[in-house]
Amino acid sequence: MRFESATSDRITAAVFFALGAAMAWGGYTMDRLEIRQIHPASIPGLVPMILGAALMLCAALLFVGAREDEPEGEGSWEHFLVAAGWSIAYALGMVGQMPFALATAIYLAGFVGWFLWRDVRPERPVVTAAGVVVFSVVTAIAISALFRYGFLVRLP
Amino acid sequence: MIEGAQGFVAALGALATPMNLFHVAWATLLGIFVGSLPGLTATMGVALLTTLTYTLDRDVAILVLICMYVGAIYGGSRSAILLNIPGTPASAATSLDGFPLAQRGQAGYAMALATAGSALGTIVGIVLLVLIAPPLASVALNFGSFEFFWLAVFGIVISGQLTGNTSPLKGYIAGILGLMVAMIGSEGIHAHVRFNLGIDDLNGGIALIPAMVGAFGFAEVLTVMYRRKAGLVADSSLKDRGFPRLRDLWRFKFTIGRSGVIGTLVGIIPGVGEDIGAWASYAAAKRSSRTPEDYGKGSTEGLTAAETGNSAVVPGSLIPALTLAVPGSAPAAVLIAALFIHGVRPGPMIMIEQPTFLYSIAAMLFLATIGIAVFGLSLTKLFILVLRIPREYLMPLVFTLCVIGPYALTQRHFEIWVMVLFGLLGFVLRQMKYPMAPLVLGIILGTLLDKSLRRGLTLSDGDLTPFFTRPISAGFVAVIVLTILAGTPPVRRAMGRLVAPLRRSREQEGR
Repeated sequence: MRFESATSDRITAAVFFALGAAMAWGGYTMDRLEIRQIHPASIPGLVPMILGAALMLCAALLFVGAREDEPEGEGSWEHFLVAAGWSIAYALGMVGQMPFALATAIYLAGFVGWFLWRDVRPERPVVTAAGVVVFSVVTAIAISALFRYGFLVRLP
Repeated sequence: MIEGAQGFVAALGALATPMNLFHVAWATLLGIFVGSLPGLTATMGVALLTTLTYTLDRDVAILVLICMYVGAIYGGSRSAILLNIPGTPASAATSLDGFPLAQRGQAGYAMALATAGSALGTIVGIVLLVLIAPPLASVALNFGSFEFFWLAVFGIVISGQLTGNTSPLKGYIAGILGLMVAMIGSEGIHAHVRFNLGIDDLNGGIALIPAMVGAFGFAEVLTVMYRRKAGLVADSSLKDRGFPRLRDLWRFKFTIGRSGVIGTLVGIIPGVGEDIGAWASYAAAKRSSRTPEDYGKGSTEGLTAAETGNSAVVPGSLIPALTLAVPGSAPAAVLIAALFIHGVRPGPMIMIEQPTFLYSIAAMLFLATIGIAVFGLSLTKLFILVLRIPREYLMPLVFTLCVIGPYALTQRHFEIWVMVLFGLLGFVLRQMKYPMAPLVLGIILGTLLDKSLRRGLTLSDGDLTPFFTRPISAGFVAVIVLTILAGTPPVRRAMGRLVAPLRRSREQEGR
């Protein structure tokens, strides 16, 4: 399925409609703080109700008006999934579980290595692999040192 | 006027220390690198740098961020000219004439003209910033809750309308989504926690910076890796003149002046940004040009107009950001967050609480302009080397910074989760042609809209009348209604029918 197709617009319209309905309902059922005797016009759920309704209206218009656009060059789902999956594994799995420099070196080596082998297919694989490892280790140490001692930032 | 000039000179004198000039040099250079690399935008650069400069002094941190902003918007012209790929969306119009010039062997001269146009555009914007911001802040002092509510609505509507690529509807939806994000967490009047979904970390709401680093950083990494690889064009055409001819600049004086004013005015409109400023300046220059047929085929005038226009948006976007706390562009939204982090409260009171701060900002913009002029004219070859960095090496590096940045602000892993979620959301929305600027604006304006509406209704005891009868409010309502109507298909078709005969007669006169 393409991102800019009528079908994808209709699916997102349905998702947005549900999101709008959920927010409007959440605003409607939200505590009105009567016990604190606040002005009824200043209840916390007021704006969420309005926003929910506005999103439902826009989603309905999007659903009705969905049409096919000119297709643009399709990208690579494989590239996207590898880049997203590996980056998320690094950010949410590795970082915090091991020293930051080590996690970063593993992430960089995996990312650069996979895309180099997938796209470029180097003629001298051993030399290239060694280069990727050196790049990853040196960069990871340099980034960690720069931010810890240069920018005085606490690393995860 | 004289007071403004004196304030500017005094601020410039105070800022021009050797250490500050060093900061100007590295930050502008870094900004040009970020801008020139396709996939890295000014918003991402400013958002990442905000997280890394929060331990610096207030003025130094803001100076560094402004240099990054100015440098990145200018840097986009490099890849637009050499690769036919705008480094940032702001340079899309630049590639129309810049790339044909490069193909004709005039890449060096095209870059020199882009440098001169950008520098002059920023200077026009700085002058207008110093002239317009103080009176605008005075006017804004008369704003009450009713006016601020409509200002927030106006920001979302106009930003959605002008940045929605194929339809304003997607712009509006992006804006509403941004406002919804702002509804999460403790609200500003009764401190009631909304929509925290049982997660304690959400009680404080979603901070702008991690969200922006995700939506503009991680989403860009994913977009660049998803797209097919762009080929670097030959750079053998760089042996031509690397300095702009004064004769050419004098010839384009009206184009430069007009584009600077248009860019600044577009910058003042909330959440619209540099790309629209460039396109509007380009279109205006083409309409009044003696050689409109050259546009799109390597017109030096067109190139100058586009670059002057997008750079003038930078000071323009800071006018509402400083005086109303309403950003004129996505990077300006991040700058507002940075100002709050560093203890500056932008808004109508800024000329009373910190009367010299506005002139400091103008002086910082001026120093950044000198930076782009010096680097732009001297380091042409270095920037081409930067364009050769393979994406496989660059993108994971960018993502590493996306992880460090949000964590650095609060030392919570939760911010990394926010960054990742906004990155995935931003990628999908971007692929589906939803503009990002209204989303950012929504996150920034959500609190203002929420508090102003409920405070206004409390003041009027639930009566909606003052929202429509107070003069400034009524003006906002009229503009909002007209803007929404102008985006509806029947009105668009009717406008097209009205304009078509005029266009035909003009074409006949032209022949």
